[in-house]
Amino acid sequence: MLTELGFVVLAGIKFGALYALAALGLVVVHKATKTVNFAHGAFAMLGAFASFLIVVNWHWPYWAAYLLIPWAIGLIAAAMESVILRPLRQADMFTVVIATVFLGIAISEGFRLTYNTELLAVPSLFAGPPFIVAGVLITRDTLWVIAGALAAALACIALFSYGRFGRGMRAMAANIRGAQLCGYSIDRVYMLAWFLGGGLAGLTGVLIAPVTGVSIDLSIAIITAGFVAGVIGGFDSPKGAIVGGLLLGIAESVSAAYVSSAMKNCVSFLLLFLVLMWRPQGMFPERSGRSV
Amino acid sequence: MMLAFDEINAKGGVCGRKLRLDFEHASSPAESVAAVKKLVEQDKVFILVLASGSTGAAAAADYVRQVGVPTYNLYGSTPIIREPFAKNVFHGAVVPVQVSAAALISMFYDGEYTPKKFGILAGTYAFPQATLKAAQDILGQKGATFTVEQFDIGARDFTSQLVSLQRQSVDSVLVLGSFSEAGFAIKQAREMGMANVRWVVDGSAVSTAIIPILGNADGIRGYYNAPAFPGQTPATREFEARLKKQLGSMPQGRPSVYDLIGYGSGYVVAEAIGATNCQLTRDNLINAWSNLKDAGPTRLDGLDITFPESYSPTDHQGVYRIGAAIVKDGQWQVYRVIDKP
Repeated sequence: MLTELGFVVLAGIKFGALYALAALGLVVVHKATKTVNFAHGAFAMLGAFASFLIVVNWHWPYWAAYLLIPWAIGLIAAAMESVILRPLRQADMFTVVIATVFLGIAISEGFRLTYNTELLAVPSLFAGPPFIVAGVLITRDTLWVIAGALAAALACIALFSYGRFGRGMRAMAANIRGAQLCGYSIDRVYMLAWFLGGGLAGLTGVLIAPVTGVSIDLSIAIITAGFVAGVIGGFDSPKGAIVGGLLLGIAESVSAAYVSSAMKNCVSFLLLFLVLMWRPQGMFPERSGRSV
Repeated sequence: MMLAFDEINAKGGVCGRKLRLDFEHASSPAESVAAVKKLVEQDKVFILVLASGSTGAAAAADYVRQVGVPTYNLYGSTPIIREPFAKNVFHGAVVPVQVSAAALISMFYDGEYTPKKFGILAGTYAFPQATLKAAQDILGQKGATFTVEQFDIGARDFTSQLVSLQRQSVDSVLVLGSFSEAGFAIKQAREMGMANVRWVVDGSAVSTAIIPILGNADGIRGYYNAPAFPGQTPATREFEARLKKQLGSMPQGRPSVYDLIGYGSGYVVAEAIGATNCQLTRDNLINAWSNLKDAGPTRLDGLDITFPESYSPTDHQGVYRIGAAIVKDGQWQVYRVIDKP
């Protein structure tokens, strides 16, 4: 019974870690720019597709995918912010958000047109035997996905909390005019935020590709899970994104195993409603008070 | 099908006419109905080809019966397009679910294997549900013990279903879903230690694309709606070369059985038109089609890659034969042909 629960929770943590990484990308962009990037799922899908190209089509080593794709997707995201979204900033925030929705659709449809296939499979990174802990089989791939996603998320939080870049983004989030007066450039910080968000989406794509394959549905799956995890944790809280992602993954897995497999899809929305009713600001909201 | 039409047209066409394929994309039942109506009412096609799966075919079923246009159902196995019988609707290489379900169950007993307890993993959408019903009936008649777990379309996490199957100690699992669903389900099952399980997958999962998902897919079985897998015979190898030339490059998982069926069906359409003695009315076509025997590419110098199709005025199912396929050394191959199980 405990072994069975171990399998279920482990699967939840694996998907939860990926949700957390997806949510973190959304949170980073939102925290700095107050924009919900609905193209985030499409960026992750692009990352997964790029890993298919690198690993399967071009037969390059896997590490090349991990090394190149986050940078490449980050650069694409930053370029899109500069070229498409920057002029729209003159309009209201709603226009920018709608633009990200259609940007995501355009990327997904571009993928569909260039590679019209149901699914592209990407092989697992590791082929060795699994580890057995208390009767629970843990594959090397599962460990890698969980550890990789959570390590990247924690590194991102550290960057956000302690680096100059993170200070700039937090300053922008708190008070744009004040941040400008302190010498931070809006254009630069926004572009960096999109670069980091895109990089996280790219990494999510590389990690998720062997787990789910690459398909056009991946875009929607990632943005939905990332958005729900972000709202659960608190949309401005990187730590909240991680906790929200893990909570969502485990809740989906446990409810599907012990209530009904049909619960898997609805549990995320159930969680969302519960959190919004109980704590609309999310479970780990950023403090907005000031010490004087 | 376009490849077949190009080949036929290159040889002068049928009845002195070139064949033309008009195409409408549809990815939902509503889109399928709209696409069919457009093709029939606006484009005024002579023959309607339903090249979607069961969902699209089921959505269009009432309409095509009502308007009486000669309709060729290529891939829909759902009973909704087959029952009640309609004299204008013909079904090609994809067999009725009762036939495919019987073939699937028979594969569990191949090679002196004796299943003790069956598990069925079935998608909640149209065609897996149709096959599920037929498989349950067959297993019920056999007195076999079985349990059913279901998943939504496009599912990638099967932990809950597999935990349940593991809890009930099943040793034989039938997966009714697409190759991606079956592939990730089996991959996860192995990660959970479900070794020594015989896996049989639905025809829609019998694709080369399932192999890269699993890495090692050896031993997995499923039915195939053609007598040989791409690469297995000179004819299928030649087909692969011709298709690659037409597409420019060959996407992962192709040529699929749908490519093979499409090609063979193109020749069946040409043969049906030719059988009208070039009196091209819809009634003549339906009558001629209803009496076709052993139709397929070979009579018109095409590649012999599909089962020949035979029809009668009271039976519009062209094929009852099915290939039993297995993955060996990383390659799918048909290891026996099942005649109307």
